[in-house]
Amino acid sequence: MLDIKDLHVAVGATEILKGLSLSLKPGEVHAIMGPNGSGKSTLSYTLAGRAGYDVTEGSILYNGEDLIAMPTEERAAKGIFLALQYPVEIPGVTTMMFLKTALNAQRRARGESELDALHVLKLVREKAKALNVSEEMLKRALNVGFSGGEKKRLEILQMAVFEPQLAILDETDSGLDIDALKIVAEGVNRLRSPDRAMLVITHYQRLLDYIVPDRVHVLAKGRIVREGGKELAHELEAKGYEGIAA
Amino acid sequence: MSVGPSPLDIFRAKGVPHRRMEDWKYSDLRSVVDAEAIERTQDADATIEVPLGIRRVDFENTDVPRWLTKRLPALKAIGAMDAAARTYDTAGVAFLVPAEMRVDDPLQLDILSSGHKQFALVLEKGASLTLVETHRVAGAGLRNVSLSLFLEEGVQLTHIREAKFSGDLVSVETISVIQEEGSRYIARFLTGGAKLSRTEVNITLAGEGAEADLSGVSVLGDKAHADITTRIDHAVPNTTSRQLFKKVAGGKSRAVYQGKIIVREGAVGSDSRQTAKALLLSDRAEADLKPELEILADDVKCAHGAAVGDLDAESLFYLRSRGIPESEARGLLIHAFLQEVVDGIEDEGLRGAAVEFIDSGLARAMESAS
Repeated sequence: MLDIKDLHVAVGATEILKGLSLSLKPGEVHAIMGPNGSGKSTLSYTLAGRAGYDVTEGSILYNGEDLIAMPTEERAAKGIFLALQYPVEIPGVTTMMFLKTALNAQRRARGESELDALHVLKLVREKAKALNVSEEMLKRALNVGFSGGEKKRLEILQMAVFEPQLAILDETDSGLDIDALKIVAEGVNRLRSPDRAMLVITHYQRLLDYIVPDRVHVLAKGRIVREGGKELAHELEAKGYEGIAA
Repeated sequence: MSVGPSPLDIFRAKGVPHRRMEDWKYSDLRSVVDAEAIERTQDADATIEVPLGIRRVDFENTDVPRWLTKRLPALKAIGAMDAAARTYDTAGVAFLVPAEMRVDDPLQLDILSSGHKQFALVLEKGASLTLVETHRVAGAGLRNVSLSLFLEEGVQLTHIREAKFSGDLVSVETISVIQEEGSRYIARFLTGGAKLSRTEVNITLAGEGAEADLSGVSVLGDKAHADITTRIDHAVPNTTSRQLFKKVAGGKSRAVYQGKIIVREGAVGSDSRQTAKALLLSDRAEADLKPELEILADDVKCAHGAAVGDLDAESLFYLRSRGIPESEARGLLIHAFLQEVVDGIEDEGLRGAAVEFIDSGLARAMESAS
C-alpha cells in the first residue's frame, strides 16, 4: 500500500529525512519510534502533503501512485489520514459543519454522492458515542477550547468518520493521561481492519502497550536505524534511544 | 436648516477633503472629485418606506420642523462633505418617532443613484426602531449622504447599512449620532466598497448609560476602496462603546479603518472597546487600521486592538488534509473570520441578508485574489 524508498526531505535549507525507506501492507500496523528531532513529524507531514516539506530525493508510492506530486486534499480523498500531534483550532467553524464539509468533499472527489446533513449527523453521532465525544463538542467551534484529550479524541473520531485506508497517527499519545490514552487507543483498535494500514508515530513505548504494532522502526537523524517486532519497543524503553541507535 | 454659519459657508471654508488632512490620509477625495463637481451634483434618488406611526417631513414642501431645528446645534463640528449634502440636497427628509413608540417594521432608506442626500431621524424618549439603509450600485459620479440620528433617553435604534460594490462611484456618508441617557445605538455595516468609499460615524455619548455598539464587515475585491472612520465621544460619565470591524481585501483593494475614542475630562466610568482586523487575500491588497485614543479622565476602561494578516497556513493545511479543496478551505476560513460579526446581528432575517452579502462579495474578493 505504501512504499517509501530512499526518501530525502528538506525543510527550508535543512535536510531532515536522509534516506528513509519503509513499506506498509494493508492490515499492518507499524510503529515509528524516535527521539525529538529525529524526523518523525517531518515524515507525517510529508506523507500528508504539507507545503514547505520538499522531497529532494527518493520516492513515495501509495497504491502504486506517485504521492509526491499529489495535492494534499487529493491524498485525503484517496484515503490518507493524518491525526495531528497538535490539532488546529478554527474559530467560527463548528465541528459538525467541518465534518460534513470534509466528508462530502472527499466523497465528491471520489465520484460518490454527497450525504445530507441528517445522514452525516446520524453517522457522526454513532461514532462519537464510543469515543466519548459529546453532542456539545460537535456544536462548538472546531477544537476551540477543547482539552488535549478532547482534541485527540476528535482526531480519532474524524478517522472513524472518513474511514481512511492509510492512517498516520502523529504522537497521538502526547499530552494524554492514562484514561484518555486508553479511550484513544481503543478507538484506534476498533478501526484496525484487513484493508487498513496504520503508521503509529510515537516517542514513548507506552502507547504501543495499547496499540500493538506488527513492526517497529526506530528513526534517528532522518534514517531508520533499527527494525523489529513489537518487542523492540520494550527494548527501547529499557535501553533508551542512545543504547539502540548507537 | 441650521443656526450659525450655514452649511454652504462651512463647505466653502473647508473645501474638498484631501490626503494631507490627518482624517482623510487614506482617502484622497480631492483626487477623484473637485468642488465644482460637488456643487453641480444633484439630489440623489431614493425610495423611502416609512412604517405606520412615524412622522415624515420633506424639506422640499415644508419648513424644517421645530422638533429638528432645536436639536441641530448639538451637531457641533460639521465636516465639509456633511455640509455639502445639507446644502445641495434640497429634497431632504426628516423622520420623528414619537415617545415610547416601539416600531416593528423597519424604516427603509434605499439610495438608488449618485447625488446628495440628507436625512434626519429623531427618536423621542423610549422609542425603538430598526433603520435599514441600502446603497444600490450606481454609475460614475458622487454619492454624498448626510444622516443625523438623535436618540433621546432610553431609545433603542438598530441601524443596518448595506452598500454593495459600486466600482465607478465615489461614495461619502457622514453619520452623526447624538445619544442621550440610557440610549442604545446598534450599528451593523456591510461594505462592498467603491472607487472611493468613506463612511464616517461621529457619535456623541451625551447622557449617562448611553451605549454605542458598532460592528461591520468590509468585503473587497478588484480596486475597491472602503474607509470606515469612527469618532466616539464619551462626553459624560458611565457610557459604553463597542466596536468590531473585520475586513477582507483581495485584488488591489484597500480597506481602511480609523477609530478615534475621546474620553472627556470628568467622564469617569467610560468603557470603550475597539477591535479592527483585516485579512489580506492578495499581495496587492492593502489595509490601514488606525485606532486612536484621547483620554482626559481617570478611572476609565479602554481596550483596543488592530491586526492585519494572511490566512493561517496551518489552518489551511489542516482543512486540506481532511480533503477540503484549497479554494473551499480558504472560503471556509474567511467565513470563519467574519462569523463573529455576523453572530452579532440579532434579527434572523437581517443575519441571513448579511451572509448573502458576504457570499456575493467574497466570490469577487477571492477571484481577484489569485
